[in-house]
Amino acid sequence: MFYWIYDIPSTTLALIITGAFVGFSWVGAVLIRPILRAFLRKRADINDLIGYVLSSFGVFYGLLLGLLAVAAYQNFSNVETIVSKEASALSALARDVSAYPEPDRTNLIWLLRDYTRYVVQYAWPSQQKGIIPQEGNTRMIAFHEQIIRFEPSSPGQEILHAEALRQFNNYLEARRMRLFSVTTSIPGVMWAVVLVGALMNIALIWMFDMKLVNHLLLGGILSAFMGLMIFLIASLDNPFRGELSISAAPFQDILTHLMEE
Amino acid sequence: MDPRYASPSAKTALGLTLLLAWTCNLGCEPISKSISFLTKPKETKETIKLGILHSQTGSMGMNEMSLRHSETIAIEEINESGEFPRIDFVSVVKDGRSKSDHFRRRVRELIDIEKVDVIFGCWTSLHRKAVIDEMDNPTELFRPQGFEEKTGANRHEPLLFYPLQYEGFEANRNVFYFGSTPNQQILPALDWFLSDQEGGKRQKIYLIGSDYLFPRMANYIVKKYLELRSIQVVDEIYLPLGHKDFGDAVLKIQQASPDLILSTINGDSNRPFYEQLYKMGIRAETVPVLATSVAEDELRRIPPEFVHGHYAAWSYFQSLDTQESKAFVRRFKRTFGLDRVVDDPMEAAYTQVMVWKEAYKRAKSSDPLKIREVLEKGLEFDAPGGKVKVDPKTHHLYKKFRLGQIQLDRQFKIIYESKDLIAPDPFPAFAFPGWECDWTRGGLTKGPVPNIGL
Repeated sequence: MFYWIYDIPSTTLALIITGAFVGFSWVGAVLIRPILRAFLRKRADINDLIGYVLSSFGVFYGLLLGLLAVAAYQNFSNVETIVSKEASALSALARDVSAYPEPDRTNLIWLLRDYTRYVVQYAWPSQQKGIIPQEGNTRMIAFHEQIIRFEPSSPGQEILHAEALRQFNNYLEARRMRLFSVTTSIPGVMWAVVLVGALMNIALIWMFDMKLVNHLLLGGILSAFMGLMIFLIASLDNPFRGELSISAAPFQDILTHLMEE
Repeated sequence: MDPRYASPSAKTALGLTLLLAWTCNLGCEPISKSISFLTKPKETKETIKLGILHSQTGSMGMNEMSLRHSETIAIEEINESGEFPRIDFVSVVKDGRSKSDHFRRRVRELIDIEKVDVIFGCWTSLHRKAVIDEMDNPTELFRPQGFEEKTGANRHEPLLFYPLQYEGFEANRNVFYFGSTPNQQILPALDWFLSDQEGGKRQKIYLIGSDYLFPRMANYIVKKYLELRSIQVVDEIYLPLGHKDFGDAVLKIQQASPDLILSTINGDSNRPFYEQLYKMGIRAETVPVLATSVAEDELRRIPPEFVHGHYAAWSYFQSLDTQESKAFVRRFKRTFGLDRVVDDPMEAAYTQVMVWKEAYKRAKSSDPLKIREVLEKGLEFDAPGGKVKVDPKTHHLYKKFRLGQIQLDRQFKIIYESKDLIAPDPFPAFAFPGWECDWTRGGLTKGPVPNIGL
């Protein structure tokens, strides 16, 4: 929907979103506030009333934003953990198979290299576009075929083989979870509620009867903070997209090591 | 009413609005500029899909992985070169799973779903023939669901580029062959061994091969060729693909006491074959083996002492001492690991992508008909193995022949190289009388079908 925002550098995006909110608030303060005041200025205690409504609205809206921010961060953090777990299992698997006898060792290392290079070069850019990469599965099958073909010929090799298979299964599990996370994001309906809530919040500020300069200052500060919060949630949402996203660095490290094996 | 809450006069409101607009314009100018710069649509690149169809799994998975890697670095090289700044060449990789049926299904996916204009693929003749058959005669069974068969001018017919040396006796207007034919690989090697010079004027030749199309057809051509020179084949033997016990076969060879063994054994059987020869005391100095399917990639699975001094016939060896070859080897190793080796099929796999790129550049289109038209003008290309030229008549390549001797470092020492490029001949007249292929003049002329014993 608004995925193009992930093509913009974070600092610029923060300025754009905050600027948009502040700008909207200011424009409304100048153009809409006089119209609203025509209806509301008849009561002397109107500011108190709006203040009560705004505070109760602010509690609900603040809760929504806060919970969303926490959920987005937790999701980001979970996916980061999954990626770390996957990379660790891959690294351990590479260690295990490097102790296999030839020619299985070389075959397995080459297959892991092939897979890891694919993840770094092709799968990650696909994920950043929200596309679940498919070709890695075939590479994993190729690796699986090769590793189960190995027949241990000593107790030491049996232990090594069992450990390698265990790491391989751990790896597959983490990989599957990463792929499921590619399209994880806050549902569109929630974003709609957040944006409508922000508009209502700003509209409530316009209803205050006070000097324009005060309006611009107070409304601007509140809108800027809302903009920043929304920027934060948007940045953390879609963990594989944008500048603030989970990188392929752990896999790049493993690839570097595998290239030297 | 408190005067502090009095509404501003129209003048004040107007003044403030103008001030706000000016401030916003001033303050937001850099941002608005950056927005327009950042949010303007990126230079839209046209995507051209290139089909890659090899086995990634199954018995041929490891071999064909190397071909896929060569094709991948060629595509990456084209994208990185900046030669086509507005085009993104994207590989669409499919796994044939070392099974003909899977090759058929995947080729239909590449054609019907991915709509590729070219497919680089296959290793074995069995899979190549299945793919060609599916391209020519689409079957209902392998058509993807929801796709209706298109006929006539609407039918999408991509080109197939095939990188392996093979047995010949095949012609298809939509297929280009980048490997050697027997007259570019096996026959020049035999000539060398039959010569008076370094080859030792060998006269007693034993044929051993895996039991499938390529060895049968290649040996059929060899026997016909030797008949012309009045040289008899001592004996021939075929063993199933993947065969491991070569005790009886090597005993038979020993009893026949040949002075040259021509081996068309393919795949994992090579190791036990050379091991058995070594154990039975058959050495390269007295009875050399001339192999047609043992390259650098196969040598890494065979202990060097078993194969040291034996020979292999190819068009390209990693040890080729030219700038182009060294650059290719360097790039491959940097991309896929220093312990990787390159060999003839991999060089051909790389070359076929680069030749397609040259044709694309000249045709200014990926349309298979236009690409074919350019290739049929006899396109030349400086490949890692030296200059190659597309033969418009047969859709094969003019290539050099090289004979390599296996060294202890699992590399080949090139001991002979043909002076000129050898013209491809997929239908040598002495083996296939009446058969001829000339796509510039009517295509394929058929003669009697030979009996190769399969």
